[in-house]
Amino acid sequence: MSKPKKHTFLQLSEVTQTISETRGSNAKISICAEYFSSITNENDLHLAAQFLGEGAFSDISGKRASVGSRTYSTLAADICEVDYEQVFKPSKTAVGSASETIEKLFANIPEAQDKWKSAELSLQDVEGIYNRLYEVSSRKDKQEILTEAWSQLTPLEVKYFLRIMGRGSLRIGFETKSIISAIAKAFGQKVKDVRYVHMITGSIGKTAKLAEQDRLDEASFKLFHPLSFMLASPIESRAVDDYSEYVAEEKFDGMRCQLHISGNKVKIFSRDLNDITHSFPEIVDYFTERELPEMVLDGEICVFKDDTILPFQLLQKRMGLKKPSKKVLREYPTLLISYDILFYDGHPIFEQTLTQRRRLLSELSSTYSFPVTTQKPIHHKDQIDELFELALAHGNEGLMLKHKDSTYEYGQRRKSWLKVKKPGGSLDTIMMYAHAGSGKRGGTYSDFTLGISVRDDERYEEEFIPIGKAYGGYTDEELKKLNTRIKEITVEKYGPTLGLLPEIVIELEFDDIQVNKRTKANFTLRFPRFKAIRWDLSPDDVDTLKDVEHLYREKADKKRLSQKNQPAFING
Amino acid sequence: MLKITKAGNHGILLPQLGIGLDYSGSKAKHVFVSHGHADHIPWKSRGKVYATPPTSAFMKLRGVKYEVQELPFGKTLETEHARVTFYPAGHILGSAMTFLESDFGNLLYTGDYRTPPSPATEGFELPDKPIDTFITEATFSLPVYKWRPYEELEAEITGFAKEALENDHTPVFLAYNLGKAQEIMFLLKDLGHPIQIHGAGYKLCEVYEEHGFSLGNYEAYNRDSCEGKILINPSSAINNGFASNVKKKRIAYCSGWAAMESRRSQLTVDKLIPISDHLDFFELIDLCERLQPKKVYVTHTPNPKVVQHYLDKRGIVSKTFNMKRDEEE
Repeated sequence: MSKPKKHTFLQLSEVTQTISETRGSNAKISICAEYFSSITNENDLHLAAQFLGEGAFSDISGKRASVGSRTYSTLAADICEVDYEQVFKPSKTAVGSASETIEKLFANIPEAQDKWKSAELSLQDVEGIYNRLYEVSSRKDKQEILTEAWSQLTPLEVKYFLRIMGRGSLRIGFETKSIISAIAKAFGQKVKDVRYVHMITGSIGKTAKLAEQDRLDEASFKLFHPLSFMLASPIESRAVDDYSEYVAEEKFDGMRCQLHISGNKVKIFSRDLNDITHSFPEIVDYFTERELPEMVLDGEICVFKDDTILPFQLLQKRMGLKKPSKKVLREYPTLLISYDILFYDGHPIFEQTLTQRRRLLSELSSTYSFPVTTQKPIHHKDQIDELFELALAHGNEGLMLKHKDSTYEYGQRRKSWLKVKKPGGSLDTIMMYAHAGSGKRGGTYSDFTLGISVRDDERYEEEFIPIGKAYGGYTDEELKKLNTRIKEITVEKYGPTLGLLPEIVIELEFDDIQVNKRTKANFTLRFPRFKAIRWDLSPDDVDTLKDVEHLYREKADKKRLSQKNQPAFING
Repeated sequence: MLKITKAGNHGILLPQLGIGLDYSGSKAKHVFVSHGHADHIPWKSRGKVYATPPTSAFMKLRGVKYEVQELPFGKTLETEHARVTFYPAGHILGSAMTFLESDFGNLLYTGDYRTPPSPATEGFELPDKPIDTFITEATFSLPVYKWRPYEELEAEITGFAKEALENDHTPVFLAYNLGKAQEIMFLLKDLGHPIQIHGAGYKLCEVYEEHGFSLGNYEAYNRDSCEGKILINPSSAINNGFASNVKKKRIAYCSGWAAMESRRSQLTVDKLIPISDHLDFFELIDLCERLQPKKVYVTHTPNPKVVQHYLDKRGIVSKTFNMKRDEEE
């Protein structure tokens, strides 16, 4: 049997679907590995790995197809000749995914069935379509390209075309970690080596290609190509045996970034590997003035004024600006506070321990005078509370605990980095929707959409609007009791979701309130979870949107302890 | 004009005729029960209650204490104000659509139904008279729901059991205790492999056997001897330790809701088999178009507006019952 020369997007979609329908990560990895090893040309392998692992474009390309869900959803409704509001939206609510809704409607509706015919597009054809989407900017142009593309794809392909385009998860229970394993398995490489190469190249497609050609050792870190970030795990989920193995630093209320510098050239990358250099010219100046040797720093950008780190809300005014005005620069001056160093003297050093990297960072900081976090040894568990209170007094979010012997690896690395945070506040909310749980919580309703009251709010017609979704914070017994009550107050059922009468009041705890213009309330809560089920309260007791706005302002205006005393960072 | 009152969450009252449909209240002299699912059985009744013989048997097995009059399919009962006939609904054994002829016109109440029908039922049959008022359920009331050909689903069910057994795994089907469970047993009986069914479903199988539907070689679930048998139980049981002692098992979820991928992560199963006890959206709209009733009432649905939107476009007048409050017509 001869292998097909052209690898099609249909084949990729079918493999993806099979992975989705297979249970167990080893079985999924085997299917993916078999697919990778069946691909005969390197460009197709690059694309297949990239599509499965990163999306339409490589993370480091900075490119986006930028097609909003409304753009493709209204187009899909037009193609099906159904009303967007009356038919498409309720369908999407029931299915819970726009791309799956479109897949089903294209397959089911006779008017849509006439409009597609599989042309067995190749992976490269599809890459071309994504590029064309990137090049145009108007909704009309994007819709024209989509219409033509979809006419050549099966509904299954359209589903994955959209998910890959969106750069989000493919929702097949198969994340980067598994793709790395699949690449290793397909080409007989060590998982550790593949992961390392992925980290330094920032490209899963390239990693697959190098693995296939047995050239992983040739991959080298290049300055001005961002490295994937190391992330912290919440401490609640990790029992710490010995705190003395850790050091503590305050967790700043800022924005994570990576700074690359060589001579006069500086680049700053955000956590999603976007180049954000242009938004922070004063940081670029700050570092070029110091005539630093070549290095890569990991740290946090904060608004810093009068010796005080100002709230994240103010930093938001700096984010996304192409060229900040003088006024903005004066009002919201920023500072980059480093806490790690990943590259120095021509070599990546992320395989060194934190203690080693830190020693180097401290030396450089004092020689060249740039800010680094204050790290404190932990002698006893009780000390954590003390440090935590100080961090909060500084207006910071909490503490980071970092294992002294840890190497720098991307993603969440078990117990290497832990974050300790305090709840940002709580609200009395109404339960609006119940969602069927997954995994071990299957069969019960364990996820809930909670709302706040807008009864007396002229801006809204409804009584309650959603403010957040919570997944935990209750006991098994409470969940059982909730489920009994939910059955009695269900008024609507959308597949796995129940619409409820406003009866149950939940005291909701959260880490922070953020502005989010895309939600009905204009605010979202970070990490909302149950604090208590308030059987004693009625819907009249539910907090209002005005309360939320007030809380937000209060947090933003809170007095902050100056960094003059017991500073959370030292300036060289 | 015929007055129709929605009574509570499920029941319907026709006050002019003194007739209730799946109705628990006190205002009906005659109550007709569509089928044996718990959400359609009146739990108390002050009127005379009629049901098909299998439905009557299910009602008794499920604990109904009052007397039930058996009314077989196709036999017409004359009440003071109406002539009432049951037609097979294809949903589960004994499931009936209630056809009423009166001075106020003809009415067909579907209860839950499925066309094409489940093979483990008496089939699906419509009255050959014009229908003025059509009260239809619309459980799957969105165009994202379209069932695959039955032969495919059947092959998937038998194939799943065979493959699991060949690989030394115990196949488990998550299926509703009455109807879906027996339909799957009916499809699997030719494999000749022993089946164990959850206790609550087991006692209902007897009614199928009595009405000529052989369900093969089956017994009630027994934790100690279930390994290697084909197991059938409702999805709720899997979280309550059902066959938790069997390490090597493969689980298939059989339901119309299995058409949604989100079910996969919610239930942690090996296979989703979208086999439903209800008709799909397109079958529903087609049927309304074929019957051309003067008015359609859409009930038992999360999305009445979508069905109404489709009916509007086809020039069919429709109305929906509010799920919560009583509504008079």
